[in-house]
Amino acid sequence: MDSGTLSGIITALSMAAFIGIVIWAYSKRRKKDFDQAAQLPLDAERRDAEKGRNGQ
Amino acid sequence: MDATPAYNDKVVRQFALATVIWGIVGMAVGVFIAAQLLWPALNFDVPWLTFSRLRPLHTNAVIFAFGGSALIGTSYYVVQRTCGTRLLSDKLTAFTFWGWQVVIVAAAITLPLGITQSKEYAELEWPIDILITLVWVSYAVVFFGTIMKRREKHIYVANWFYGAFIITIALLHVVNNLAIPVSLTKSYPVYSGAVDAMVQWWYGHNAVGFFLTAGFLGMMYYFVPKQAGRPIYSYRLSVVHFWALISVYMWAGPHHLHWTSLPEWVQSLGMVFSLILLAPSWGGMINGIMTLSGAWHKLRDDPIIRFLIVSLSFYGMSTFEGPMMSIKTVNALSHYTDWTIGHVHSGALGWVAFITIGSMYALIPKLWGREQMYSVKAIGAHFWVATIGVVLYIASMWIAGVMQGLMWRATNPDGTLTYSFVQSLQATYPYYAVRMFGGFLFLAGMLIMAWNVWMTIRPQERVATESAPEATA
Repeated sequence: MDSGTLSGIITALSMAAFIGIVIWAYSKRRKKDFDQAAQLPLDAERRDAEKGRNGQ
Repeated sequence: MDATPAYNDKVVRQFALATVIWGIVGMAVGVFIAAQLLWPALNFDVPWLTFSRLRPLHTNAVIFAFGGSALIGTSYYVVQRTCGTRLLSDKLTAFTFWGWQVVIVAAAITLPLGITQSKEYAELEWPIDILITLVWVSYAVVFFGTIMKRREKHIYVANWFYGAFIITIALLHVVNNLAIPVSLTKSYPVYSGAVDAMVQWWYGHNAVGFFLTAGFLGMMYYFVPKQAGRPIYSYRLSVVHFWALISVYMWAGPHHLHWTSLPEWVQSLGMVFSLILLAPSWGGMINGIMTLSGAWHKLRDDPIIRFLIVSLSFYGMSTFEGPMMSIKTVNALSHYTDWTIGHVHSGALGWVAFITIGSMYALIPKLWGREQMYSVKAIGAHFWVATIGVVLYIASMWIAGVMQGLMWRATNPDGTLTYSFVQSLQATYPYYAVRMFGGFLFLAGMLIMAWNVWMTIRPQERVATESAPEATA
């Protein structure tokens, strides 16, 4: 196998991996988890504000 | 969550103060060496004050002392909040702070003495490199150990970026600094020739990609939503952004070695990956800026938001400029000129420093239990002084750089060079003055910040907060 074929295969695999990640990230199944995760900074700040400053 | 965990905020306070102090020191050295380019006599014929020794001091101070303190400090703050748990070990955490400060002081002593391994952004000699490795491994243990004992189900995207930054910097630092010591202050790299150059710029560009980008994106993904009071525009986009960015950045290093003895195909590979990088970079920028969608008025009302969002604009600008400069034909004009310096500072001042300053203004009142910064007006003043400073800096360096590139390549009909190097230097002179003034303004902004921070955190009668800790804050 020459280097041209090898880079062709690697390019195709990388492309497939990228498309796979996009499909996974935008799938309906992930939506709930991602929505929860997106709230984490706001939840944390709310907790801080409610309970006052804690710990040193 | 049943109870708020007791966070370790002491170390975050320490790193926050270190950020402000080292920022001022590093930028002051920068203004001083900018002045040396105007008035060379400013080295006073003292070897320790020459440009060649102070320039690495400037870069190390702003990147690793200012930027590093900001990254480690905010990552400790963010990982605790988003994991709902205290940092792994107080002792190890304290070691990361004091160890990092010893590294900085050691750099500040050895670099002016001329002790260097002559690798850009990796000048420090082997004993300091070993200490950096110890601190960094401890930092990784604290950070990932905290994630492992998290009480939240999810690992927030900011922690992914911080995590990638920590792992990659460990890898880059160790591989690029492999050297054979011949004495306490001198070592030779195990690489040579074009391989040495490639390893160095694999390191150098990924220091930009993971230290100055991925780490600060972690900061962005926490502090922009926090300050805007709304979740990130698209969490899905942030996931794609993360994987695309970290897998592409690794391969862009060769663009620092265009038209050198590096094999042609490696140069082309570096150029192609640099061009692809535009996509994830702009994905991240759009994600950050669009978080404000529907609440644009905050840009007018809140100077902290202004710092954060303008930092993203500069990020977008410099990540457009970077791929463009990596195109070999453009690089033939831009390389070795001051255009590169302008590009670096649009990223370093406009993006890295702005996002840091904005995050610090959001963070510092919280860390000391204050409602907000002592003077919100001063934040606004800082914003404008700093913005004018950056614009003057990068505009002057753009013009100077393009002019230098054109002068260096100009030839007469008989094939001789039209201009000597000194002529291009003379033509650059006024732009060096503008650059120095821009840098001075940016430093002045940092001094406003230092005053504001001191007025915010100085000890004061805390009767109100101490008598009723539940009701206030």
